[in-house]
Amino acid sequence: MVSKRLGWTLHTLLSHYRHHPLQTLFLLTGLITGVALWVAVQVINTHARSSYQQATQLLGAQASHWIRPAGDGGIELEQYIELRRAGFRQLFPVLEQQLTTSDRQPLNLIATDLLALPMDSVGAFNVTANWSELMQPPFQAWYPQSLAETLDLQPGEQLALASGIRLPAAVIQTQAQQGQRVFMDIGAAMTVLGRTRFSYLAVGGLTPVEQAALSSILPAQLQLVANQQSLDLSELTQSLHSNLTAMSLLSFAVGLFIVFNAVRFSLNARSTTLATLQELGVSVRLLSVAIAVETMILSIIGAAAGVTLGYLLGMQLLPAVANSMQNLYGAVIDHHLLLQPLTILKAWGMTLAGLLFALGWPLWQRSQRALASQRSISDDWLQDGKARRMLALGALVLLALALLLYPNMDSVAEGFALLALLLFAAAWLLPVLLAAALAALQSLIPERAWRWRWALNDGWTQLPVLRTALMALLLALTANFGVDTLVGSFRSALENWLDQRIAADIYVNSEKLKVDAVLQSPLIIDHHQRNGVDLRWGLRPAQVYGLDTRAPDSLQLPLAMHNNALAAWYRNEAGVVLANEQVHHMTGIDPGDKITLTTAAGPRKFTVAGFFYDYGNPFYRFYLPYDIVATLWPDAGNRGLALWLERSAQAGGADISSSTSTAIEQKLLQAGAQPGEWVYRDDILQVSIEIFDRTFAITAAMGTLTLMVAGIALLASLLAIHQRRLPEYAHWRAIGVRRREWLLIILLPLAVCVLLTWLLSLPLGTLLAWLLIHDLNVLSFGWTMPMLVQPWPAVRLALLTAVVVATTLIITLLQVRYRLPATLKQLGGDG
Amino acid sequence: MRWLPLLLLLVAGAATADDVYDVLRRGDSGYAEVVPGKTLVFPADHLAHPTYRIEWWYLTANLTDERGQNWGLHWTLFRQALHADGKTEGWTSNQVWMAHAALTTPAGHRYEERFARGGIGQAGVALEEGRFSAWLDDWQLQGDSAEILPGSLHFSVDGTTVQLELDMQTPWVLQGDRGYSRKSAQGQASYYYSQPHIRVRGFIIEPAGEEITVSGDGWLDREWSSQPLADNQPGWDWFSLHLQDGSALMVYRLRHENKRDGERPNEGQHNHWLSGTWITADGHSRALSADEIELTALEYHRVERANDSALELPLRWSLALPAMGDGYRWTIEAMDPHHWLATAFPYWEGPVVAEGSNPGIGYLELTGYQ
Repeated sequence: MVSKRLGWTLHTLLSHYRHHPLQTLFLLTGLITGVALWVAVQVINTHARSSYQQATQLLGAQASHWIRPAGDGGIELEQYIELRRAGFRQLFPVLEQQLTTSDRQPLNLIATDLLALPMDSVGAFNVTANWSELMQPPFQAWYPQSLAETLDLQPGEQLALASGIRLPAAVIQTQAQQGQRVFMDIGAAMTVLGRTRFSYLAVGGLTPVEQAALSSILPAQLQLVANQQSLDLSELTQSLHSNLTAMSLLSFAVGLFIVFNAVRFSLNARSTTLATLQELGVSVRLLSVAIAVETMILSIIGAAAGVTLGYLLGMQLLPAVANSMQNLYGAVIDHHLLLQPLTILKAWGMTLAGLLFALGWPLWQRSQRALASQRSISDDWLQDGKARRMLALGALVLLALALLLYPNMDSVAEGFALLALLLFAAAWLLPVLLAAALAALQSLIPERAWRWRWALNDGWTQLPVLRTALMALLLALTANFGVDTLVGSFRSALENWLDQRIAADIYVNSEKLKVDAVLQSPLIIDHHQRNGVDLRWGLRPAQVYGLDTRAPDSLQLPLAMHNNALAAWYRNEAGVVLANEQVHHMTGIDPGDKITLTTAAGPRKFTVAGFFYDYGNPFYRFYLPYDIVATLWPDAGNRGLALWLERSAQAGGADISSSTSTAIEQKLLQAGAQPGEWVYRDDILQVSIEIFDRTFAITAAMGTLTLMVAGIALLASLLAIHQRRLPEYAHWRAIGVRRREWLLIILLPLAVCVLLTWLLSLPLGTLLAWLLIHDLNVLSFGWTMPMLVQPWPAVRLALLTAVVVATTLIITLLQVRYRLPATLKQLGGDG
Repeated sequence: MRWLPLLLLLVAGAATADDVYDVLRRGDSGYAEVVPGKTLVFPADHLAHPTYRIEWWYLTANLTDERGQNWGLHWTLFRQALHADGKTEGWTSNQVWMAHAALTTPAGHRYEERFARGGIGQAGVALEEGRFSAWLDDWQLQGDSAEILPGSLHFSVDGTTVQLELDMQTPWVLQGDRGYSRKSAQGQASYYYSQPHIRVRGFIIEPAGEEITVSGDGWLDREWSSQPLADNQPGWDWFSLHLQDGSALMVYRLRHENKRDGERPNEGQHNHWLSGTWITADGHSRALSADEIELTALEYHRVERANDSALELPLRWSLALPAMGDGYRWTIEAMDPHHWLATAFPYWEGPVVAEGSNPGIGYLELTGYQ
């Protein structure tokens, strides 16, 4: 009996969605888009993290250790063969190289000898092409599909590099752990790129006995290091994944606003139905159960579609993320996405929670209310004022919480919690501010401009429905402006910094270069030879560089802070070190503090003289004078030679003449360098900015998506408003209101509200950017930068908003125009 | 074992090799040809002949330990050229190497295979400091001089290390017509010579560290060709026997596929290519023609392969050389049927016992069974 009654109650309730397909669409759109972006990020994050776990694998083979040169320059073929012939068949040679394509795109290469891979791992290889063609001239280069698309490369084409070298014919082919890299046979790569040494040897599955045996026969120049990449990558990328999650949660929140809107409409539309049902004897309890079932059904539909869409979206976004990870952290991320049951369950849980919050609560509240009040039309007006005050009160509570949290914030998660508090506080304050603005405008307009007064007054009717959409818009605009400002600031800081750091005209990194021979050239006016070692400091990999303290770029080192010891550093005194800003921010070390570095002779203390800017570097980095590094780490490797070139007077001192560059390239070749072992300053700058832009491509994509979700919210509200007010419009038309007047009434309050929302998003977005730059970025990555507020993103967002409003308005107007005649007729019939 | 067909593609150098032994059937295309009348020169011909498509150094040995238990081993280094043209040295080398090692212990059968590209020193056959050396990683057959024998063999299978001293008793035996060994009526042939009388002594060190002293008789085959098999030859059955009186016998039959209805696959010797060599204790050899050899499969055994499939293989044979006399008749049987090698080129190889008035032991190799 009860189940039967529940059945028809539910049937009656759900029929609403059948009668109002557009509202159903919006409700689901809100749910689905919100969940989808969250799922997309979740899938990418999970996938990336599982890829880090696989970092003990290389191209499908176990790589628990590496054999690396103690210094630099790579591993000789003879050293490798000697180890193989001593029975260490777990070793296989790897060549990794960052290449630059002829159109200045960064490209990572990985090469190994497939025949040398440990036998049990060969199974991980996916091969449909012919191995012998990979190994035999003219060779092949295997690109994953997404990389080939990025490079606009067709099968069979030969990619041209900046060095003038052409890679072998492209084959679209993907291997385990290839990531966004081009894969070649190591022999082919050595031949084509003119390399003579491997980057390192990967070592798979060593028993402790084998490890001891291997260590004992390893020549002094080589060292066996445990592969700690899984750990390092998880540590290094944590913040980046938190950032992505935060953005996806924001999008989920914006999606919830749509749901709120749709719910309000369905609530209004069904208030009569609910009252009738109660009058027919359906208990509040049964009604609640029915609503719960409805919520459940919607949540399942929303989650299922959201997960599907999110997965597809994830696949679209993954190549961009994988590229960034590769370029920034050297993390290899494959592009086979895995959807875990936990993600699906979480998505459903979120949808359900969001729906319960958005739909269940007000419906239940409504069902508790007195029957009589439910049919009163003025109730909404009354309710709206109350709701605005409640929201404002809530906003103040959130603000208070934010103020409490701010001084004690010391983790990335807390940072994002603070941002969420602020954003929601602002959103909840918006209705009060809009109402105040409407009231103020009304009082400003003279009595005789009655049309304008009427129009503004109509705002009070629109506001209750519009406010949630406007809150969503505020969130989206703020987030976009904030992130645009952040990215813009970063880009400009990076450009300035690169300009200072990459000061020399040409950088040479060559195994065989005879430096003295090059320096004899009269074209070279200055030079900077660097050395360095990689070691671990704290929990992370660290880089120690030896600089020539008198080189032009050393003299202009951009420092964030320093103390008196700096002069001692410039005097090449031992025991004084410069560290990157990351060291200061991530570990709390100040100028004058002492740090300990592990030298060849054991731990040694250094006084920190200052911190230099080192944008985007995930590693700790220390600068010491060249000779000090050479003394303390006798194995320190060559870290490249920077050359400043003579400029001809005619060229105005700006550009290097082509004759100069030809002459210097000739000189380098004579001195033993291979083509491709030097790079010009402009190319480095261009490639760096290219990597930067690719990294933030996903941020831009997510910002745009969030804005789209907000646009949908706006469209949904406008349609809801106009649908509800169609009879009212029919009345107006009947009493002779002209179309122009009607448009004014509809448009003016909307324009005022949207304009105010946009205006409010500017200071709010600036605040967001400020917090992101000064607090979150420091917490996440350990470096700061000057904030740069640019007008262009604000204008762009204004235009985008205008387009969104105009689009929704046109759709709405078309709908009204289409339906007004029918409503008029209805009105006539009623009369 | 998904990688198997993949490696085959590489080793066979063909994208569509259904039968991995196709590489042995591929017609000459720019490779050096095997022609009669060539004089083999030692020690030069012990080294690699990279202009020919394929080549191998193939050692088998029947051993006994101090407790009288039977052991067996085979160790092979294969060379293959991927192209007829191109370089043999450096990264662009067209040479690929493959090595097999298998050990028959009183407890069972263990084997391993390895691969290496040529040209970089990871594998090869060359004179190293004046000594003959055939190696892939740490597996190595090394001569004391530029000659292969006397010399030593070192390899390990599954953690068991084998270290043997090899000594030659008699001169090299040139198979066929002074080393020109015909494989079909269509002209397929190889250069082929052997050393059937190798005295083997040494140690087998078990993973746990136990050192077992072994000794026995070994057999080394050297063969190279550019197309040893005819199109209708799916594989071969190869026997090498060390007989009690010190003589040795090698017989092989290249199976022809044109079998009659109702016959078991590979059965009916009338149309198979038969060949053999009789070698006396002092190393004198006599080539055996097809009509001098009677070889019949007596019994088939079910042999497990790697991927849970099984194969019926002829593991009991009767062999007779009637023209040489009544005493030249043997029943040959595998000591243990479970000697299938699920390698890139899968085959059966293992020690056998020959019963007859002049009994012996030896090795049997069965290839090309599907």
